[in-house]
Amino acid sequence: MGIVEIKGLTKDYEGVRAVDNLSLEIEKGEIFALLGPNGAGKTTTIKSMLGLIFPTAGEIKINGFDVLKEGKKAKENIGYLPERVAFYDNLTAIQTMEFYAELRGADRKECIELLMDVGLDGEMDKKVGNYSKGMMQRLGLAQAMIGNPSLLILDEPTGGLDPRGSWQIRQKIKELNENGTTIFLSSHILSEVQEVSSRVAILNHGKLIEVDTLDNLGKKLDLQPTLVIELQRPSQSILSRVKQVKGVDSAELSGNVIKVRCNPRVKTNIINAIENEGGKILDFRTVEPSLEEVFLKFTEGD
Amino acid sequence: MDGRAIYAISKKEFMDNWRNKWIIAVSAIFLLLTLVISYFGSMGAGGVGWRDIDATIGGMITLVTLLVPIIGLMLGYATIVGEKEKGSLELMLSYPVERIEILTGKLFGLGAVMAAATFIGFGVAGIIIALNVKGVQWGNYMVFVLASILLGFVFISIAMLFSAIFKKRSAAMGGAVFLWFLFEMIWNVVIAGVLTAQYGIEKLTDPNFMAPSWYYVASLINPVKAYSALVSLSISSVNELAGNIPSFVNVPFNLAILLSWMAGTFALTWYIFNKKDL
Repeated sequence: MGIVEIKGLTKDYEGVRAVDNLSLEIEKGEIFALLGPNGAGKTTTIKSMLGLIFPTAGEIKINGFDVLKEGKKAKENIGYLPERVAFYDNLTAIQTMEFYAELRGADRKECIELLMDVGLDGEMDKKVGNYSKGMMQRLGLAQAMIGNPSLLILDEPTGGLDPRGSWQIRQKIKELNENGTTIFLSSHILSEVQEVSSRVAILNHGKLIEVDTLDNLGKKLDLQPTLVIELQRPSQSILSRVKQVKGVDSAELSGNVIKVRCNPRVKTNIINAIENEGGKILDFRTVEPSLEEVFLKFTEGD
Repeated sequence: MDGRAIYAISKKEFMDNWRNKWIIAVSAIFLLLTLVISYFGSMGAGGVGWRDIDATIGGMITLVTLLVPIIGLMLGYATIVGEKEKGSLELMLSYPVERIEILTGKLFGLGAVMAAATFIGFGVAGIIIALNVKGVQWGNYMVFVLASILLGFVFISIAMLFSAIFKKRSAAMGGAVFLWFLFEMIWNVVIAGVLTAQYGIEKLTDPNFMAPSWYYVASLINPVKAYSALVSLSISSVNELAGNIPSFVNVPFNLAILLSWMAGTFALTWYIFNKKDL
């Protein structure tokens, strides 16, 4: 039994179908990403999971409890970070945390620790109304962690953050997952999902297009990895020699780096070809296909 | 439903209004106006001076019927729609909290704000009056204060209904302002108009004229009127009700009207809020 079970979820808003017969199962301990462009139905799915909106059809169970019929029990072990996180401007961070701890029935002592944990040590007594977007997001995460919930639902957790801010949030997500928390997140920022998630569901126009691990998604689409080879003294002759290797899709030279898209099994042949042509390899790495490519391939033609 | 979330939410509502000085401001207004009414209320009858509590209550009823509804409406009109617009309601409801607990918590919390302001304002005023006049009827004063708090709860509950119905804070505020005018003025004018149309002005001015029962029922369905009738009937020396009143217009009747308003609007708020997508 998965920690989250979504069966046939459908939601219409005034005649517009936001989510269309979506079924998903999320296993304990994974980082599951719901990926899709804006308006794909990600937030609608998440809000249905929390009983914030009422589905037109379908049912959702969390930890075995029906979200609508046993909402309180279902929500007992969920931490949630909304897409547009909003607190009470008149409260300080610590007052905000204490309010939510009280709502959850958690120990108020946790609040200070959690604020320190997200790096808001010095800002606890500042009013939330004066917080920056990044601080709000960190407070949002701290709030979601109250009571150490077994499932965290994060709607666009890095939306609107600068690269450093979003890196910090991603680190935190990984750390929480390592400590046993199941994570369900949504994003339209592909590279971020790629970095943290173990499984991905692709949603477009409310329909589930694909759900699988990142690796499998790449394989299914036959997207090839890119080899990035740094050479001491690259030349056009090396490049043309590489292009001749069987299994190589394309190769290009920029500076002293050759980027080769190829079947991963021909790596050795490429290395041999370069060395036979007199090239000296300084660095060699494989870049897996980006989710951007996966995504474009899946949603194209819609 | 359990007490934890209700307590947490009531406490937050109360503390918000404590921190933003609402409670103190409203208490101060109540205190000041009560003292003014008590000291200057007898100006027309020659000279000023402290009047006793019962006489003061008579003057305060008008004050309460004007102020308490507007304070209740202001406290409650944004409590749901405001949080919904902001987005904080969504987060609150993601916690293991039922929608009825949120509504109950808000009603209790905002009601406590009203109760605190009323107790402090009227309480301090009562003590000051008691220091200056003899033979204070504390029991009567208590009835008056409690009835005023009940009127406050009624209007908070009505305001919460508006807050649950409207999609925009500004619309809920418009609704609240309209409601105030409805109960303070429009209602009475319309009913008096119907009465005049039915009997003619000459009959109405006849001192022996007895208004029909429907007039009392229609008039007292207005919670503001039910409140002043309730206080008048409970405290013998206060008489806000003119003419020969039918026997069914008694304390339980008016109390029932006020309680029905509170319970009815609260139930309707629950019904609407329970189906709402956030």
